[in-house]
Amino acid sequence: MNRRDSGVGGVNAAPRWALLCVALAWLSLQGCGLVYDALQYVAPAATDELDAICRLQRVHVGMAVEPFRPFVFPAIWTDEGSRITGLDVELVRHIVDALSQQCGRPVTPVLHLVRFRDLFLQLSEGKLDLFVSAVPSNVPAPAWAGFAYSIPYFQHGGLAGITRRPDVSDRIRQRLQPPSEGVPGAQAGAQVLDGLAVAVQDGTASQHYAAANLKSSRIVRCDSLPAAFESAEAVVDQGIDVILGARPVLEYMVTRVKKEWQLITQADGKPFFLTSAQYAVVMSEGSYRLRWFVNGVIFRLDESGQLERMRARWMDESYAFPRRAAAEGLPFDVEKMVVHYSQGACRADRAR
Amino acid sequence: MKTGTLIVTLLASGLLAWGVTDVREARAVERAEAEETARLLAKLMRAGRLVIDQNQTMIDDPHKGDKGFTPDVFEQQLIVEFRKETAIDLRTLAATPSSILIPPLAKELLPAFVLASKEVVREAQVVINQRGIGYKNFIPATYGSQAARRFTGQSHVRLKQTTLKPRNPKNEPDDYEASVLKWLSGRPNAQAYVSELTDKGRTLRVVMPIYYVKDCLKCHGEPKGEQDISGYPKEGAREGDLAGAITVTVPLNVGNR
Repeated sequence: MNRRDSGVGGVNAAPRWALLCVALAWLSLQGCGLVYDALQYVAPAATDELDAICRLQRVHVGMAVEPFRPFVFPAIWTDEGSRITGLDVELVRHIVDALSQQCGRPVTPVLHLVRFRDLFLQLSEGKLDLFVSAVPSNVPAPAWAGFAYSIPYFQHGGLAGITRRPDVSDRIRQRLQPPSEGVPGAQAGAQVLDGLAVAVQDGTASQHYAAANLKSSRIVRCDSLPAAFESAEAVVDQGIDVILGARPVLEYMVTRVKKEWQLITQADGKPFFLTSAQYAVVMSEGSYRLRWFVNGVIFRLDESGQLERMRARWMDESYAFPRRAAAEGLPFDVEKMVVHYSQGACRADRAR
Repeated sequence: MKTGTLIVTLLASGLLAWGVTDVREARAVERAEAEETARLLAKLMRAGRLVIDQNQTMIDDPHKGDKGFTPDVFEQQLIVEFRKETAIDLRTLAATPSSILIPPLAKELLPAFVLASKEVVREAQVVINQRGIGYKNFIPATYGSQAARRFTGQSHVRLKQTTLKPRNPKNEPDDYEASVLKWLSGRPNAQAYVSELTDKGRTLRVVMPIYYVKDCLKCHGEPKGEQDISGYPKEGAREGDLAGAITVTVPLNVGNR
């Protein structure tokens, strides 16, 4: 009762309180502006992605959790904890060093190890500043559109195939022979794989190539390259005839890890490429300053001969990656790695 | 000298002698306890390394995803191995009365090392449970490095793995460790350990040897110089050879206050 009385009694006071509130709000707004200006002076708000990286002193880098040796090796444990290494990791180190120099303070890379096919998604969702994992810059696929690609850091990419069956190898080589009497004529690119079971990795250039060009092959989609090997080695007769993938990765695998497999070559022994590609760093389309910056880093590495040294170091030298991981690998954010990475499996492409 | 003064002087001398004896005794007790704690810590680390070694094939199995080698599983196996070595049950450690064999410091530090080790196994889960990846470099030495680092960061006691020709430069022995390792390498495999006071008696250091067992030889055995799976040249070691040592450095308090 008393309360209501006092409320009724307060009716006259309401306009005064309202005025006071408006005045206070007005004063606060002025104050806010001043505070904002002061903050801007001390720590300017980020105006673009490069400023944001400098301000946070962190760059979010995506990498494929599936190994793309020698660009990205499997995550490994070292004396320093979990580490990842490879040519792409070395490139990230160079970019991060340059960022630290640009920002005038140390910038830390936060590595997100995710499935290759999810890298594009995470970049578009703004979870990454950039990603790098032997990504060709010239794949005409809708899923790869709407992103920005740096200038190339690796020139000799492209799709190639491997097989462990001599009959398949001979068959393809025969199809690739120049036309002459009594010999089947040379077939253009993809047609040499007609009638064969071809394994590709989901979401990669090989899958997009197969979808667009391998109309008469039986396509087997695999979650990773190791899954393709496992599947091919488990079933010999009706399994996988050819694994299609990035040539430098396949070359590394057949010369160092899976020596029972061979690269498919032409009749004269020259390598058989299905496509040509250059590998680039992937960023958001609107990241103009970051792109200029990354392009600049790659350009300087190329100009100084460092890129070529990196290529030779990872492609040609004899080494064991655990040792390099311990010495120069980068830590990764365990929380940002897919839980219990599994190489996955292979299945027939039912969409065809 | 007056009788009164004499009595006072004698009393003071007696008290001083008693005090000195007391400090000496306390020092001796502290050293003994610290030494036993250091030995137990070294044995616990050795047991942890052995557990990793025993699970190595499973950890490196490329066909298996989730290995089930969780921090709790590791802990259970660690407890078993440690009990085999010392007859001490870590599960009942808190309720066990302190003694010279289980000093109060050990009761505090042994569980801390178990926790540090479990943290390492927990963090390594993403690496251990990868399917399709064989060798993961989660081996006794890399487990030991990280467990020692974490434990040292959380306590005042320093643990270190060392050897005369370390693969990891951070495990390089100092002059004292090198001399002990050289001395140990010329002697038969034994449970011996070396203990000394350093830093003007303010620190106790215990060096406990580690010897190669059969499983170690895949990476450290013959042929000498050939690259092992991790990319390091094999040492050409034989079973029972000295592999290195675990050094435990414990700061002492009594007499330094």
